Amino acid sequence: MKRLYFVITMFMVMAMVLGACATPTPETIIQTVEVPKEVIQTVEVPVEVIKTVEVQVTAEPSTETFPRNETLYFNGQQWGSVVCWNPYSSNCNNAMAITAQDSSRVTMFETPYLYNMLDGKVYPLLANGDYTWNDAHTEITFKIKPAAHWSDGTPVTADDVAYTWASNIKYETNAGVNYKDYIDSITAVDPQTVLVKSKLDANGKTVNPLMVAAYLSSNYVIQKAWTQTLEARTGGDATAFKADAAEDVVWSGPYHKFFADDTKVVYVRDDNYWGQDASMWGKLPAPKYLAHVIYKDNAAGSVALAQGEVDVSQQFNSNVQILWLNYGLPVSTYLPDPPYGIGASLPTAFYNQKSYGLDQLAVRKAIAIAVDYDTIIANAMTNQSATFAQVPRSLMNPTPGEQALYDHAAVADLQWTGKDIEGAKKLLDDAGIKDTDGDGWREYNGKKLSYVATCPNGWSDWQAAIEVVAAAGKDIGIEITTNYPEWAVYQTVVTDWQALPDTGYDIFMMWSDGAGPTQPWGRIRHLISSEFAETQNNWNGNWGGYKNPAADEIIQAIPGETDPAKLKAAYTDLVKIYLTDIPSFTLMYRPQSFHAVNESVWTGFPHQDDGTNPPVPPLDLTDGWSIAGLYNLTLVNP
Amino acid sequence: MKGYRKYFLNKMVWFLITLVCAFILNFILPRLMPGDPVAVITQRVTQGMQSQSGVQAVYNQYAELFGTKKPMLEQFILYMKNVAQGNFGISFSQYPRPVADIIASSIWWTVCLQFPAIIVGWLIGNTLGALAAYLKKGFDKVLMPVSIFVSNFPAFGMAVILLVIFGVGLKWFPTSGGYGFDMIPNVSWKFMWSVIVHYQLPFWSIVLIAIGGQAIGMRSMSIYELNADYVKYSRFMGIKDRKIIGYVFRNAMLPQVTGLALSIGTMVGGALVAEIIFSYPGLGFTMLNGVMGQDYPLISAATLIVTLMVLSATFLIEILYGFIDPRIKAAQSD
Repeated sequence: MKRLYFVITMFMVMAMVLGACATPTPETIIQTVEVPKEVIQTVEVPVEVIKTVEVQVTAEPSTETFPRNETLYFNGQQWGSVVCWNPYSSNCNNAMAITAQDSSRVTMFETPYLYNMLDGKVYPLLANGDYTWNDAHTEITFKIKPAAHWSDGTPVTADDVAYTWASNIKYETNAGVNYKDYIDSITAVDPQTVLVKSKLDANGKTVNPLMVAAYLSSNYVIQKAWTQTLEARTGGDATAFKADAAEDVVWSGPYHKFFADDTKVVYVRDDNYWGQDASMWGKLPAPKYLAHVIYKDNAAGSVALAQGEVDVSQQFNSNVQILWLNYGLPVSTYLPDPPYGIGASLPTAFYNQKSYGLDQLAVRKAIAIAVDYDTIIANAMTNQSATFAQVPRSLMNPTPGEQALYDHAAVADLQWTGKDIEGAKKLLDDAGIKDTDGDGWREYNGKKLSYVATCPNGWSDWQAAIEVVAAAGKDIGIEITTNYPEWAVYQTVVTDWQALPDTGYDIFMMWSDGAGPTQPWGRIRHLISSEFAETQNNWNGNWGGYKNPAADEIIQAIPGETDPAKLKAAYTDLVKIYLTDIPSFTLMYRPQSFHAVNESVWTGFPHQDDGTNPPVPPLDLTDGWSIAGLYNLTLVNP
Repeated sequence: MKGYRKYFLNKMVWFLITLVCAFILNFILPRLMPGDPVAVITQRVTQGMQSQSGVQAVYNQYAELFGTKKPMLEQFILYMKNVAQGNFGISFSQYPRPVADIIASSIWWTVCLQFPAIIVGWLIGNTLGALAAYLKKGFDKVLMPVSIFVSNFPAFGMAVILLVIFGVGLKWFPTSGGYGFDMIPNVSWKFMWSVIVHYQLPFWSIVLIAIGGQAIGMRSMSIYELNADYVKYSRFMGIKDRKIIGYVFRNAMLPQVTGLALSIGTMVGGALVAEIIFSYPGLGFTMLNGVMGQDYPLISAATLIVTLMVLSATFLIEILYGFIDPRIKAAQSD
């Protein structure tokens, strides 16, 4: 027996030693990949003229190892396994291929227009030229590019756009549910021309022109023929329609599925992609493969970025600057110095209007001005956020376009940058909110002010921020303790006004909208519009239950307003209301997408002042106009 | 033989009672957690959705689809029917993926990581523990502190140390994944080698901790047995040391075998820490996400598998004990 154990032990030790002698990380081996063969097919078109169309059929590449210099590696976008490839589904967890949002991800499926968060404009993708409103501002017309075609070689037509909309409505997809209150119909005037009719209010005016226009850059066009195949397969059942895995889907974008399992997902370039036409990009995107290894957490992703196994990182890399400052790695961010990226959303602490004493402006303002925001930004965000001295608080994100939308001087006297302990104390004293029983905590109407500040457990940057909020309370004599429920519990409570208790969730963190074609209007609406106050299943905003009819009126008027001066005045008024009433307060700025790149293999990534025109935004070369960045990449060692 | 039959039947009845109770608890407990899984899904799928009525509509769709608003009893009957047909239902968190598919794709990674690690850790640990007890002196003086030190390491600490030293620092092993980040699974030596190399750090992060604990346990048991009367008597009888050591280890091994069976029974729960630190595929992280997202079908299916394996392992061990050590059978048959 002893001998047996000895032999087994020696065997294991030998295995370890042999393993140690192995090649470290798997070396990249460049191997010959089958070159796609060009096959000429003759397609008979059932019209009077028989047309001959050349179709390049892309041979499926077969490979065991992806050539490193043909593959662009990502992290931070795909968490967990890909579930399906159905662009009508919102549940595919297929982040790299299917993410319809303000800046939609257009690697596999495409939108008519691409939103650029840097200049706030949209640029045509499937569309041919700009869209136009009619004089009454009730209809949008746009054309489809003649060169645009699907992966099966058939052209993208206006009928595809119309049928996609009809399917979105019929099967109650997210796009349909989201836009049905704003868009009346989308029809094909002719094979190249699309007509979008808005829903009109009682006065015959468009209900919301911003939302109508946003549809064009936020939602995919899906092939009519494939949609009909899907309908036939699922028998018209809406649930089955949206739950179909859609392995046979037809796409129009530059990449499609190559491989997916629980550890990674890989997309391969479609060398027959229509976008190489001179009317769009004029060439194919540089990487042949887009690969996303599925990391289990940010730490693993950060190690892979440092190791050169990731080229584009869309995740929070704590203290990202040490990668180039301390380790000399060829890693960089969009901006070379703090805040390293462009802030787009406003993680915000909401006051629960039900909580005792939080209906008092003095209490809300005292807490807000006492918080040490610089510490939050340094600790929670490792300086990957602009400070409030750099970008004064408002309802706008730090992008230049949004900052120009309100009058900074008009609200200057309402601003605060934080850590104003004495100011906060004075405010409370003046309001008669003092420590009357000598226990060190202030009372309001004889009742001690004691609150719980909360955010989901494990959201480490938010937890660090909430701790700073609690510390501010102690400094000004208001007891604030912290509590971190699991996300599954937390979100159930804060999104349901009836479930939100009057204690335990007094100050809680949630997010705001980022950058997009409906912003900053959409963000402001979500932060303070009373249409979301005291509602259930509220995933939009105003979770604290703030109500202000004056603000509502301005929010309602903005979408129909086209005069820039009036718009600026309206936004300034809203900022004034927000900074005066303080129903919630922003704790930091957060980028739309984190964007750190490792230039060991590829170079030419978007950076500030990189000379691109229009500027390519730091959205990981996949979202909205940032996909233009894929066409600018070159190899470090060609 | 009649005694064995009674003993076996007794154990079998308890096995079935425990299984029924565990089955019911597996269904009920996840559903008693505070929170609403449909709200979690709604949040995920309505990101960017502006319309409040739209969000409500999506919530209602999923609540209807998953039947979470139905009475608990109705849900339980449906669950039993499905399980009887080998159908664990559709995952909430990875909808529309079937739970069976999720488990099938990750369980082999877990079993292939955990089973050898448990066996190797157990064998090496017990061997070292027994040697320490028998050889004493220098070997014991070195082994004991080292074992205590290593076995008290938190699992994530050991994993991070191995990662930093052998992955990041020395670059002997890759830092993450089940196989090369630049590969897809295929039948080739290159791929197999990649799997083996990626296996090393997660494997040793589990084994090293297991060795220490097993060695301490085995050492204590062996010391106790070495001082037992039958050992002294055997020595007086002039029986060879080698033969005596055989008896000693066999007796000392009994509690260790129980521990081994339980470890094997619970192994499908996954090596969560190793999976997270090394981004290694497996069931542990999938289960964690299931629990966090209140994915009832996934939690119930995974816990049912764990329950079945633990119950089967303990049942087998109890039956084996009846044969190995008749005293146990005799005591329990009375």
